Amino acid sequence: MEYKSPFSLEGKNILVTGASSGIGLNICKAVVASGGKVIGVARREGMLQEMTNELGFDKASYIHADLALDEGIAKVVDAMPEVNGVVCAAGIAKMLPLKFIKRQALEEILNINYFSIVLLLSQIVRQKKIRKNDNSSIVLISSVAQQIGTKSSLLYTGSKAALSAAGRVIANELSSQKIRVNSIEPGMVQTAMASEMEDVVSRESIDKDKEKYPLGYGTAADVANATVFLLAEASKWMTGQSLTLDGGRYKLID
Amino acid sequence: MKQNSRINKITNFKKANNMEKNQFLQSFAEQFDETDPSVITFDTEFKELEEWSSMVALMIIAMVDENYNKKLTGADLRETRTIEQLFDRIVQNKPA
Repeated sequence: MEYKSPFSLEGKNILVTGASSGIGLNICKAVVASGGKVIGVARREGMLQEMTNELGFDKASYIHADLALDEGIAKVVDAMPEVNGVVCAAGIAKMLPLKFIKRQALEEILNINYFSIVLLLSQIVRQKKIRKNDNSSIVLISSVAQQIGTKSSLLYTGSKAALSAAGRVIANELSSQKIRVNSIEPGMVQTAMASEMEDVVSRESIDKDKEKYPLGYGTAADVANATVFLLAEASKWMTGQSLTLDGGRYKLID
Repeated sequence: MKQNSRINKITNFKKANNMEKNQFLQSFAEQFDETDPSVITFDTEFKELEEWSSMVALMIIAMVDENYNKKLTGADLRETRTIEQLFDRIVQNKPA
C-alpha cells in the first residue's frame, strides 16, 4: 500500500481569504505545494490573477469579493465549491492610542477583522459548503497581540481577541461534524502590512523589538506552514486551540 | 487700493498661519501629562523632554492624523528637532 503523508493536502479544496498578499498569499502557495487546491478570496483582483497564474489554473482559482460587505460574503458562498478547509487570513491593522479612538475606526477594524469572518463562516456552515465527517478544518489567523497589551494597539488587539474567542466557540459547535477550528497567533511577521506599521514607529524601536525575538521576526511562510499542519490529517486531534508562533518572543525569558 | 488689498491678504495669511501654528503647539503640549505646557515652545527640542516616550510619539502621530489628516512617519519625528521644524514639515511640507 502506498504511504500518504498525514501532512499532505492531496484531494483537499481549501478556501483562503486575504489571498492577494502577505500571509494569505503564502498560505495559497503552501496549500498547492502540499498537494491541495486553493480558492483565493480578496478585494484586489489583479493580485488574485497573479496568484492563479503563478500556481496554475488546475490548482488555484479565485473569487473576487469584498468580505466587508454582505453582498461580498454572499458572492463567495454562492461561488465556492464544497471545501475541506477554510483559512481566514484577511485583516487590517491600525495603531491608535485610547483617547483618539472613535466609533468609525472601531467599526472599520472590527468589520474587517471580526464581523466579516464570523458572517462568512456562518453562511458557509448554513449552506453546508464545508464537508462534515471528513476531518475538515477551519484556521483563523489571529495574533499574539491578543495575549498581551501592546500600547496603542487596542483596535487591532480587540478584534483579534474576539476572533480567537470565536474560534473556540465555533470549534465546540462544529465538533459533532468533525470540523475542527483552530487559530494561529503569530508575532511580528514581515509583510507589507507590517512595513506600513514600521513606518509609524521609528527604525530604532523596530530594531529594539526585533532583538526581543530569540528567533528573530517571522516570515509569512512560517505562518503558512503551520496552517498546512492545521488543515492536514496530521492535526486531526486538535481543535479549539490557539497556536502561538512568535520565535520565542513571549515565553522565553533571558 | 490694489496694493492695500494685497498687503491685507498677506497679513491675513500670516495671521491665519500663526493661529494654526499656535493651535499646533497647544495640541502638541496636550499630549503630555506631566510636562508643564509653559515649557513647551516652538524652540523646544521635543525628544529631549523627560516625558518624551514611544507612547507620546504615538499620541503625536494620532493628533496629527486627527487634526491635519496627515500620516506622520517615524522619519518625520527622527529628522526634526524642534516643534517648529515638525510643524513646518507637517503643515508646509518643508524639509527640516
